[in-house]
Amino acid sequence: MKKKTILIFAIMLFLVFVAWMLRDLFMVRPELQKNPYDYGMTALRKTDTVPSYTELSPLKPVLREITSVAGNQDGKIYIAGKGGVEILDVSGRMLKHFPIRGYATCLTLMPDGTLVIGMEDHVELWSPSGNIISVWQAVDTNSMITSVAATQNLIFVADAGKKIVYQYDRYGKLQARIGEKDPVRKIPGFIIPSPYFDVGISPKGELWVANTGRYRLEKYSMDGSLLTSWGEASMAMEGFAGCCNPSNFTILPDGSFVTSEKGIERVKVYSPDGAFVALVAGPEAFDEGTRGLDLAAGSNGRILVLDPSRNQIRVFVPDKRN
Amino acid sequence: MDKQNRRQFIRTGIRWILFGGMALVAGDLIFRKGEPLFGKNRKSGPTVWQLDPAKCIQCGRCATNCVKTPSAVKCTHAYSMCGYCNLCSGYFKPETKTLDTGAEKQLCPVSAIKRTFVEDPFYEYTIDEALCIGCGKCVKGCGAFGNGSLQLQVRHHLCDNCNDCSIARNCPSGAFSRVQLTDPYLLKGFGKKNL
Amino acid sequence: MRHKTVIVFILLILGIFLPSVMGVQRFPKPEFESGYVEPETQFPVPRAEFLAWMDVAVLLLSLSLATFLVLKKRSRLGVFWLSLFSLAYFGFYRQGCVCSIGAIQNVTLALFSGSYTIPLTVLFFFLVPLVFTLLFGRTFCAAVCPFGAFQDLVAVKPMPMGAWLNAFLGMIPYLYLGLALLFAATATDFIICRYDPFVGIFRMNASFGMFLFAGVLLLSGIFIARPYCRFLCPYGVLLNWLSRFSWKHMNITPAECIQCRLCENACPYDAIDFPQTKKDPAGRRKQVNRLILLALLLPLLVLGGAWTGGLIHSTLSGVNSKVRLARLLQTASVSKDQPEPPEITAFRSSGIAQQQLMAEVATIEHDFLTGSRIFGGFIGLVFGMTLIGLVRTPYRTDYVPNRGTCFSCAKCMDYCPVIKS
Repeated sequence: MKKKTILIFAIMLFLVFVAWMLRDLFMVRPELQKNPYDYGMTALRKTDTVPSYTELSPLKPVLREITSVAGNQDGKIYIAGKGGVEILDVSGRMLKHFPIRGYATCLTLMPDGTLVIGMEDHVELWSPSGNIISVWQAVDTNSMITSVAATQNLIFVADAGKKIVYQYDRYGKLQARIGEKDPVRKIPGFIIPSPYFDVGISPKGELWVANTGRYRLEKYSMDGSLLTSWGEASMAMEGFAGCCNPSNFTILPDGSFVTSEKGIERVKVYSPDGAFVALVAGPEAFDEGTRGLDLAAGSNGRILVLDPSRNQIRVFVPDKRN
Repeated sequence: MDKQNRRQFIRTGIRWILFGGMALVAGDLIFRKGEPLFGKNRKSGPTVWQLDPAKCIQCGRCATNCVKTPSAVKCTHAYSMCGYCNLCSGYFKPETKTLDTGAEKQLCPVSAIKRTFVEDPFYEYTIDEALCIGCGKCVKGCGAFGNGSLQLQVRHHLCDNCNDCSIARNCPSGAFSRVQLTDPYLLKGFGKKNL
Repeated sequence: MRHKTVIVFILLILGIFLPSVMGVQRFPKPEFESGYVEPETQFPVPRAEFLAWMDVAVLLLSLSLATFLVLKKRSRLGVFWLSLFSLAYFGFYRQGCVCSIGAIQNVTLALFSGSYTIPLTVLFFFLVPLVFTLLFGRTFCAAVCPFGAFQDLVAVKPMPMGAWLNAFLGMIPYLYLGLALLFAATATDFIICRYDPFVGIFRMNASFGMFLFAGVLLLSGIFIARPYCRFLCPYGVLLNWLSRFSWKHMNITPAECIQCRLCENACPYDAIDFPQTKKDPAGRRKQVNRLILLALLLPLLVLGGAWTGGLIHSTLSGVNSKVRLARLLQTASVSKDQPEPPEITAFRSSGIAQQQLMAEVATIEHDFLTGSRIFGGFIGLVFGMTLIGLVRTPYRTDYVPNRGTCFSCAKCMDYCPVIKS
């Protein structure tokens, strides 16, 4: 009798094992586990600030893998990307599309309408009608051109690889190297930890450079002296978050700055002296992980944001009530 | 006696049929795909588990699901991709103001990242593998804000190479796969396409 | 020890495969003025391939030795020491991976999947014991499989269980095998490895639940000798059937059985068939009637099983991660307040269109429907055959090992007083 009890007990134990297997196989749902090591990105991407801009319907270019946008005050929008340039009118209708050889990483307009296109390692000038004007020599080995800016006579090329801004005349002759570390002139140098390195020319003709590793915008004179800077690192709305921001910026006709950030995707407006003014679009407007939100000032106060994740030009206008 | 012989005969017959069946299965498995059996391109060598950092979403399950404690998945630092940032978003908790090595400022739950001053303003970050639990918190921070030089990888001197990898089974993004022993690691490169 | 060899390998091999990893052009790092040299990222190499072939060699050698010890030497002691070696090598040194039992799934996956190629070493692990069993009986179970060796160590007080209990619990391995094949063929999961109760002990590392249930199984193993081998092991099903047709199987007695009944209680696994010489015409008539009835019932059992399999197919397919993701996506919109499951986050960031996933899942569900029906029918067949096996009492004069269930462990041999002349 005792033997039988033990045997029944042993068989019950064995069946418990089998039952546990079946339960684990068919009942337990691992997706309900919470991540105990969550970075908290979801919380960081939530903001209390209400955007002061309204989004219009986005422009959808034919070009794929778009990288850069430039606007003209007559309303024309220029887009460059893999293997081509596209020109849209203010409503997004395609005016022109022409192929280029290679991968355009940035473009800008000269005041006379000439297109300056930064390829990966060199610069090309094109006429708006799609004729090539000149192809410059490769800037340097190890170069990674991420931005171009132009005045009447000068073209500035930001090289994230060499972490320096080159100043050229419009024929491609190197005039100066701006931003090289120089203790005598009190120039700390650019810290560019990732391939985002933007330059811009203000309406007054001043040269601004995004020193992303120091989380600030720096103003340089044409001969390369550091004049002033503004910006600070912070997750808060007023600052530039995380590693190496702002990734892109543009300057509005009134001298205000529009900046974009990666990590926590946000587009913001700062006054000409660097005070936070308004949020254009917060993280909820973009896909998580979107990088390289190139910016351009459109006509009538529009802000054009190139969204590489969705391959669109997003259009924002200031709210009427403000 | 006759019955005995007949039984023996049937048994022998079935045995040969079973041998034939096994040979067929083996032959099919070895030759069906027409892949080379020898040399560099063969696929019939031993396999190991590989984590594709491009698919990884840092859900934290590498830390909690490995049969080993701590996990055989560790943060691997691709130094050549690192920006050597002062404000390393893989090292510091978000919202950290003063950048020093205080434990309360570190993102890593086990303080497995060592921060060493290189020169102004650059810092080197190294992973102490003995401490790292493979949770991917730093990978998330580095990937979201920085260059993504911190990446999770199966460390093969630690991995038991289970036939049914329990992380792979629970990986929400299907980032695990069996690969040939000859190419066990995969780092997410920083190609120009990422511009 | 192992780690030191690994480090040597790193140094040797680093130079060979680093370029392939580092070949991508990437963003240039800062130019350091202090002469700082960046450290190289270390990539410790996995276990070398020749070691996998060494495992195959050890398998072959230990199987040959086991067969020799059982069939020629008739040495229980030898088998015991060999089984301890196997436990040490395949269990504690190789940590239970890859094993012949789990290899069933690799073979199945390779047969059904277009993308998976089975490593040759794993194929050997699957085939070699099968070939040996077809020739010499289950000598693999006797002394090579670490699971068997481990359970033999805890079987302190084995109890006879009776034919019916043995038969009904003996159906579980077929169920397990069927499920394992279904999940492996659909590339869902390797459940044999997932619920391997011993691997955690070999590694001294497992989840609390796994340890607890392994403990439960081992506890039952004190009274039920080798519970895993007899009532769970899916590989045992294959070995059982091959062993029935084996060329030379061990016997209890080295010569003629003298009906001394000394071996009656020798087998802890109830694997000795007792003599059946009773001539009872009335009983025989009854038995034939029952067999006819069961034979008629068999197709019904198969059909019923297949029908039931079709009914539960969506429960079975719920184990598949893609099916689960699809179901999660369909229900996710309901619970907005909870944090998003990582499966959905990963799916959205993968950029795969939902339709594509749904189409894929529809194929998987269809495979599961077919697979579940076959599985159900198979279980029905097993049930019917088990009943037939219980009713049938073949004529037998001697005490012989049951060729299917005998592990060839040679324990019974020591009980036999007959000496070979």
